[in-house]
Amino acid sequence: MPNEMKPGQDGKKSVEALRSKFGAAILAEAWQTPDQVTLTVELSSLPEIVEEAYYRQGGWLSSVVGNDERGLNGHFAVYYVLSIEKERVPDKNFWLTVKALVPSHKPEFPSVTPRVPAAVWYEREVRDMFGLEPVGLPDARRLVLPDDWPDNLYPLRKDAMDYRFRPDPVAEEENYKFIEVEGEGIVEVPLGPLHITSDEPGHFRLYVDGEYIVDADYRLFYVHRGIEKLAENRLDYDQVTFLAERICGICGYTHSVAYASAVETANGIEVPPRAQYIRTILLEVERMHSHLLNLGLAAHLVGFDAGFMHFFRVREKAMQMAEILTGGRKTYGMNLIGGVRRDILKEERDQVLRLIAEIRVELDELLDLLLNTTNFISRTQGVGRLDPGVARDFSPVGPNMRGSGYARDTRADHPYGAYDRVPWDVISRDGCDVLSRELVRAAELYESLKIIERCLAEMPPGPVLVEGFAYKPYSFALGYTEAPRGENVHWVMTGNNQQVYRWRARASTYNNWPSLRYMFRGNTVSDAPLIVASIDPCYSCTERVTVVDVRKKKARTIEYKELERYCQERKNSPLKS
Amino acid sequence: MLKLLRKALKVGEATVEYPFKPVEVAPGFRGKPVYDFSRCIACGACATACPPNAITMDWDLERGVKSWNINYGRCIFCGRCDEVCPTGAIVLSAEFELAAARKEDLYCRAELKLCKCISCGAYFAPCRELEYVLASLRQAGLLEGGHEGWKQLLKVCPECRRRQAASATGALGRPGRMPGGRQ
Amino acid sequence: MDQEVKLAELKAKLKKVIKRSVYIYRVDCGGCNGCEIEIFAAISPVYDPERLGMKVVASPRHADVLLYTGPMTRAMRLPAIRAYQAAPDPKIVVAYGACGCSGGIFHDCYSVWGGADSIFPVDVYIPGCPPTPAATLYGLAMALDLLQQKIKGEQFAETEVTRVVPQYDGVCPELAKEIEQEARRLSGYLHGRRIAAQYLQFVREGDPLAVDRKIKELIKQEKDPRLAEVFLSLHKIYMEKMERVGHNAG
Repeated sequence: MPNEMKPGQDGKKSVEALRSKFGAAILAEAWQTPDQVTLTVELSSLPEIVEEAYYRQGGWLSSVVGNDERGLNGHFAVYYVLSIEKERVPDKNFWLTVKALVPSHKPEFPSVTPRVPAAVWYEREVRDMFGLEPVGLPDARRLVLPDDWPDNLYPLRKDAMDYRFRPDPVAEEENYKFIEVEGEGIVEVPLGPLHITSDEPGHFRLYVDGEYIVDADYRLFYVHRGIEKLAENRLDYDQVTFLAERICGICGYTHSVAYASAVETANGIEVPPRAQYIRTILLEVERMHSHLLNLGLAAHLVGFDAGFMHFFRVREKAMQMAEILTGGRKTYGMNLIGGVRRDILKEERDQVLRLIAEIRVELDELLDLLLNTTNFISRTQGVGRLDPGVARDFSPVGPNMRGSGYARDTRADHPYGAYDRVPWDVISRDGCDVLSRELVRAAELYESLKIIERCLAEMPPGPVLVEGFAYKPYSFALGYTEAPRGENVHWVMTGNNQQVYRWRARASTYNNWPSLRYMFRGNTVSDAPLIVASIDPCYSCTERVTVVDVRKKKARTIEYKELERYCQERKNSPLKS
Repeated sequence: MLKLLRKALKVGEATVEYPFKPVEVAPGFRGKPVYDFSRCIACGACATACPPNAITMDWDLERGVKSWNINYGRCIFCGRCDEVCPTGAIVLSAEFELAAARKEDLYCRAELKLCKCISCGAYFAPCRELEYVLASLRQAGLLEGGHEGWKQLLKVCPECRRRQAASATGALGRPGRMPGGRQ
Repeated sequence: MDQEVKLAELKAKLKKVIKRSVYIYRVDCGGCNGCEIEIFAAISPVYDPERLGMKVVASPRHADVLLYTGPMTRAMRLPAIRAYQAAPDPKIVVAYGACGCSGGIFHDCYSVWGGADSIFPVDVYIPGCPPTPAATLYGLAMALDLLQQKIKGEQFAETEVTRVVPQYDGVCPELAKEIEQEARRLSGYLHGRRIAAQYLQFVREGDPLAVDRKIKELIKQEKDPRLAEVFLSLHKIYMEKMERVGHNAG
C-alpha cells in the first residue's frame, strides 16, 4: 500500500478482536490513516466478518464499493465500509473497510444482506454496475440501471464500454417488477415518477388497507447519469470537484468536500487550516438553506402555506450569503484538491455576520409561529415512526437518525474541516417521528449560525491552497462529510494518468431510503407525502399514487396533486370512490 | 393567526422589483464568461480546465487556424477559465440574462492564425501565442544581445526541434515518418 | 431557420393562443435538483412570478409552458415524452439550465441523451448552472415575449496577426508570476488577482525604496487585517528578490 500509516490505538484493538475470532480468514491489514483501516479477508468469510463488525463492534454500514481491479491484481474487489462507533467517543471512532477479492472467472460473492440488511441496496448496485452476483441476495431486481438498459452490459467494468457508449433502448416501456403484497383488500398506489414538490423523480407504490399503508416499494434512480464512469474517463482530479457538486443541487458542496478530502487523504496532502475553515463555513451555509427548505416544505404539506412562504423568504438570506461568499447561489465552485479557490475578506465577513443576525431574529419568530400552529404538531407527532430497532439494521443517517434517539453526526463522530476547533452541539430527539426530525433540523439551524459566526471570527491566517504535490498512483482513502440529510461517504482510488481509477460517491439519502418502507407502515395515505419529506430525500415526491386496495383487489391511480391536497386538508379521501 | 398577521405586516413587501428594475448581484458574482478576442493567444488553457467542455479548441492544419469555441448553454459558470487564463482574455461578468431562442446565439467562436515552422513548413502553433512568449522573454531581458537564438528556436515546431537536437547529439532520429515529407 | 422567422412564429403562437396568464409545468429529466430548487426559489415571495401572470401547475395537461431540466437520462426519456404529449398544443418548450440546454457537464455520459432538444424541439434556452431566480424570470419573460433577447452569437477571426502584450508590461515577468502565484495561494484567484495587480502597480511606478514606503503606508491604513497580511507576504517576496538582485549586482 503506497499510503501505509500507523494505526490508532482503539482501531488496533478492534482489529485484534476480529483477528482473534477469524484468524486466518483475515489476509491483510493496511492503515490508510490512523483512523482508516482496510482488512482484506477470505471471500467466503466476508458476511460473517461484516456482521461481527456491524453488530458487535458498534459498526454502521457507510458504503460498499465495487471495483474492477483486474488490471491491478487480476480480480474484482468489493469493499464494505463501516463506521465503527463503539463507545460513542469521537476520538475512539474509526473507519473499518472489509475488502474481499472476487475471482474474475467466477464473478460472484456471498451476499451480506441476510446478516446485515443495510447492505441490500449496495449489493444490488454492485450487481448492476460490475456484474458481480451477490449469492443469497433475495432481491434480484435492478437498482441503478434503467429498464431499457441491455442485460450483461456492466458500465463500470473497465473493459465493458466507452464512457460515452449509449446502447439502443432494449425496452420501449418500463418493466420494473414491484413487490407483490399478498393479502385481502390491499390497494396499490403508484406515485411518480414525475413529481410536484421540489425534487427528483422517483416511482412509489403504496399498498394500503383502507386508509392505512401496509407496505411500500419504490423505483428510484431515474436520474442515473453515469457520473462515476465519467470521472474515471474524461475529467482530471480538480475537475471532479465540480462534477461532485452536481451529484446533488441542494447539498452538492458536501459531495465536493467529501471527494476532495478523499483524494487529499489518499495522497497525503495537507489542506491549510484557513481552507478548512472556509469549507466549514460554506458547508453550514448549505445546511441552512437546505434545512429552511425542508421546514418550509413540511409547513406546506400540513397546509400551513403562509409558513412555507416565510421560510422561503428567510431562506433567500442564506442564498444571499452563498452568493456573497462564492459568487453563486449554489454549486459553489470553491474546491480544488489542496484547498479552496476563494478567500473571505473583511467586507464579505461583515455582510455575512449582518445576515446571520437577521436570520436569527427571523428564525425565532418563524419557529414560534410554526410550533404554535396546532395543526403542525398534531399532523407530525407520532407519524412516520422510524423505530430505533429498524434504524439499527439499516444504518440511516442525518436528522432522520437523530430524530430516533441516535446522536450520530459525522461532524462529531469523525471530525473534519474545522468542526473539532469550534464549539457546537450534536442535536438529537427521541420521538422517532416526523416532528422529532423537523425539531432536529430547527435546532441545527441555530448550531449552523453559531458555527459560521465562530469560524468567521477565528479564521486563521495563511494560505487557502497548497499546490505542487504529486499524486500517488493506486492509493485510496475515504472522504466524508455530514450533509444536511446525513453522512456522505466518498471512496477514491487514484489512477496513474491524472485521473481517478475509481470514485464511489455515496449520498446520504441512499442510506435513508431502504428503511422508509418501514416508516410508512401503519400510517394513513394522507401522511405519505409528509413522511417522504421528513427524511428530506434528495428526490421527494411524485406525481401520481397508485393505491392498491387489499380488500377490493383493485388498483387505481391518484394524481399526486390530489394526494397532496388530501395531505393538506385531510377531507374527501380520494380512496373513497 | 394574529401572530401570523403581525408577522406579515412587519415583513411588508418582500418581492424584488426585477425585471422592472435591475437586480443587484454580489461583487464577484459568477455570471457570463466574457471573451476578449484581442487578448486571446489560443493557448488552450481554458479548454483544458473547463469541466463540462463548454470551451473547446480545434486545430485546422489545412487552413492554418486554431478555433476557440464556447457554448454558454453548456457552461457551468465555475470560473476555471477565468482562473487559468494567462492573459485575462476571459473574465466572468455579472451578466445573467442569457436566455436565447436560437441555440446559435449561445455560441461565441473565434479563429486564430497558426504559424508555419521555418524548418518543415507545417502549421504548428498560434502566431499570437509565439509572439506572446517572445514578448515575455523580451521583458525578462532574455532577447538582448546574443540571445537572438531564442527567436529562431521558437519558430521551429517541436517535431523538428527534437530531430535537430537528436542529430546534434549524434543520435539517430526515429526513421520513417517525416512530417509533411519535407526536410 | 433564421431568428426573425422563429421569433415571429413564437410571438404569433403566443398572441393567438395564450390570451391569459400562462401555466408552467416542470419536467425533471434527471437533473441534480439545483435547477428544481432555483425554480422553487423563483416562485417564492421574493421573486413572485405570479405578478407577471406565471403560475407553476401540477399537471402537464394544464400547461402552456413545459420547463425541461436535466440532461435527459435514459430512465426519464419515456416520462418526458409522455409529459410532452400530455400538454395541449401549442405549447412552448423551455430548456432550463446547462443540462437542459445541452446536457451540461454530463453531455457525453452513457446514461443520458443530452439536453431536451435531443428529444423534441425547444423554443427557448435558459442557460445557467443553475439559472438564478432572476435569470429564470428573465428567460420566461423572454419566452413570452415580454422582454427582448440580449445575447447574440459572436464570431471573431484574425485578419492580420496582432500582438498580445503581457499583462504587467514593465514588470519583470518572473516577479509578476511569483507575486501572482503567491497572491492566488493566499487569497484565491479572484481576490488574489486584484491584490496582485494593485501590488504590481506600485512596483511599476517606483524603485524598491518607494515601493517599500508606499506599501508600509498602505498596510497602516488598511482596515482589513487579512488584506494587510496578504500585502505583507507579497512585499516580502519582492524585497527578498530585490536584495538578491542587489547582491548579484554588488
